[in-house]
Amino acid sequence: MTVLQLTNVTGGYTRKPVIKELSFTIGEGELVGLIGLNGAGKSTTIKHIIGTLLPQNGEIRLNGVTLNENLNQYRSSFSFIPETPVLYDELTLKEHLELTAMAYGIDRQTLKSRSEVLLKEFRMEKRLNWFPSHFSKGMRQKVMIMCAFLVDPQLYIIDEPFVGLDPLGIQSLLDQMDEKKKAGASILMSTHILSTAEKHCDRIILLHEGRVRAQGTMNDLRRAFKMPDATLDDLYIAMTKEQDNE
Amino acid sequence: MNNLQEVWSKRFNHYMNEVQKYMRFVFTGHLALVFVFVLGALGYQYSEWLEAVDDTFPAEWVVASVVGFIMALSRPVTLLREPDQVYLLPLESKMPFYFKKALTYTLWSQIGLVVILYLVAVPLLRTVTELSSSQIWLILIVIIILKYLNVHIEFNYRYANRGGNLLIDRIARMFLSILAIESALTLSYSFVIILLVLLIAYNSALAKKVKEQPIPYEHFVKAEQNRMMGFYRFANYFTDVPHLHGSIRRRNWLNFVYNLVPYSQKSAQSYLVYRTFIRTDDHFYLWVRLTAISAIVALFVNIPMITWIVAAALAFATTIQLKYALLSSGDFRMDRLYPIEPNQRNQAVRKVLRLFMVIQAVIVMLCSIGQPLFFIPALIIIAVSEATYVMTKDPSVETE
Repeated sequence: MTVLQLTNVTGGYTRKPVIKELSFTIGEGELVGLIGLNGAGKSTTIKHIIGTLLPQNGEIRLNGVTLNENLNQYRSSFSFIPETPVLYDELTLKEHLELTAMAYGIDRQTLKSRSEVLLKEFRMEKRLNWFPSHFSKGMRQKVMIMCAFLVDPQLYIIDEPFVGLDPLGIQSLLDQMDEKKKAGASILMSTHILSTAEKHCDRIILLHEGRVRAQGTMNDLRRAFKMPDATLDDLYIAMTKEQDNE
Repeated sequence: MNNLQEVWSKRFNHYMNEVQKYMRFVFTGHLALVFVFVLGALGYQYSEWLEAVDDTFPAEWVVASVVGFIMALSRPVTLLREPDQVYLLPLESKMPFYFKKALTYTLWSQIGLVVILYLVAVPLLRTVTELSSSQIWLILIVIIILKYLNVHIEFNYRYANRGGNLLIDRIARMFLSILAIESALTLSYSFVIILLVLLIAYNSALAKKVKEQPIPYEHFVKAEQNRMMGFYRFANYFTDVPHLHGSIRRRNWLNFVYNLVPYSQKSAQSYLVYRTFIRTDDHFYLWVRLTAISAIVALFVNIPMITWIVAAALAFATTIQLKYALLSSGDFRMDRLYPIEPNQRNQAVRKVLRLFMVIQAVIVMLCSIGQPLFFIPALIIIAVSEATYVMTKDPSVETE
């Protein structure tokens, strides 16, 4: 079943589009990596999917609806972990979890059971009443991750998840992602850590200058670049060279 | 020399532009209007009081204390910045030239307040004391000399001690300045001269220590940053200063207020807005300050019309500023993605403001008890606040 479907999406911040006629889908239980050079349009793509930017052309369907058709259904179907943690300076860790639960209509009992697991997994139990100003970058990232997993949505959108996390944090995140995948959730993850992407992603979308340059499993990509034994790093560099030649 | 001259003038121009940019908002803002009314009312009360004031009133001590206290607060305006400790290092020996410029500006920017305070006190001095006009002007000159010494001593003290134990120096100067002004006002000139000599000796001792030390950039840069932060905070009451994140305090004693918000999806924004308002110093103290002014005016000004106008103006100012502060949407926040009705935040802000404006109304009402029609200001506050909320635009809508 298709969870997220982008059809010919063109858009950007100004009239001049950053992403052009983007089309891809993400199915149930799939972990898809969004890979591209700086400025390829990864963040812009994500902004269109989460609805902070609206497409100039084309449409984005999440669980069958567009943002305009049913705002609340669209928004409750995903959770988002931004590249730079965005926290409320005035809320404690506990209150971040509570606010998120309230906003997504999660009852107290579920909030309690889910957050207990997450707090333990990310080793943040002792910081429940702390304000974010006392958190390190990694801890702030963990707050965002916990809030996203607390929602337990159909689709997770994760922008550069591994930057700033310690190795234990990265492992916890990968474990959580794996668990959710098994339960049928889909994940779209943008990253520069290619070895991790290659190891964990079911499919990869290579973005280049706002267009999908290639997509598919690692084997599909190797065929597309005619590099049978290549790693994702090799393919990535090949794509860079392509750009230099242009 | 040319080099540092250029550095100073460039910074000074930039600083002046920055100050002017924000002061424009301060003077055209609604609060300015309130201050005009409050000043007018206070002036009127002062003149009434002067007619009734007793000859035994210790005017010399009161004037000396107020002027001396303010005078001792002489934070230098150095306009130093963090990279300076690297880039200006080779120019260390020429820096006294830069600091001379900085201290001249510091003196001129701070002397106004001291002089105005003294001039305001002149009618009082004329009523209570027997000082002649020329004596009053002579004392003004003494005050200016004292302020000059205060500015230089504070700078040298900060320099020599790298910012440590400033309070001791300030208290000492405050004490000496108050004594000097009091002596001048009672025409004990010999005392004035002794105290001035004492301050000059103190200054030269510090200046000698300064010469032996490298520039304490760390302290001066920090002091400068704090000073600018203070200015931006102040300007933020009148207009939106971008990227100014106010400090947060838990204020546990207000936790009970959060019980007003039930646990439900419909209340998600209320959950957030109550905490944002109560814990952000900028928002909360704005309300405290304006409520306090309104209450003090209600308590001490006995002209009903004035208290009503002030109550209305302050209710307007509180409502509009908090509405804008809580609704304007600069940076991305996670609640933009929540699956809730888009106008939930507006409703939440309205609820919080309504609650705190009712509290303001009650406080002002309690302060005007004893006056005829004591309940009128409270009604005015609630009516003005509601009308302000309804009739002003929602700042979050226009940016979308």
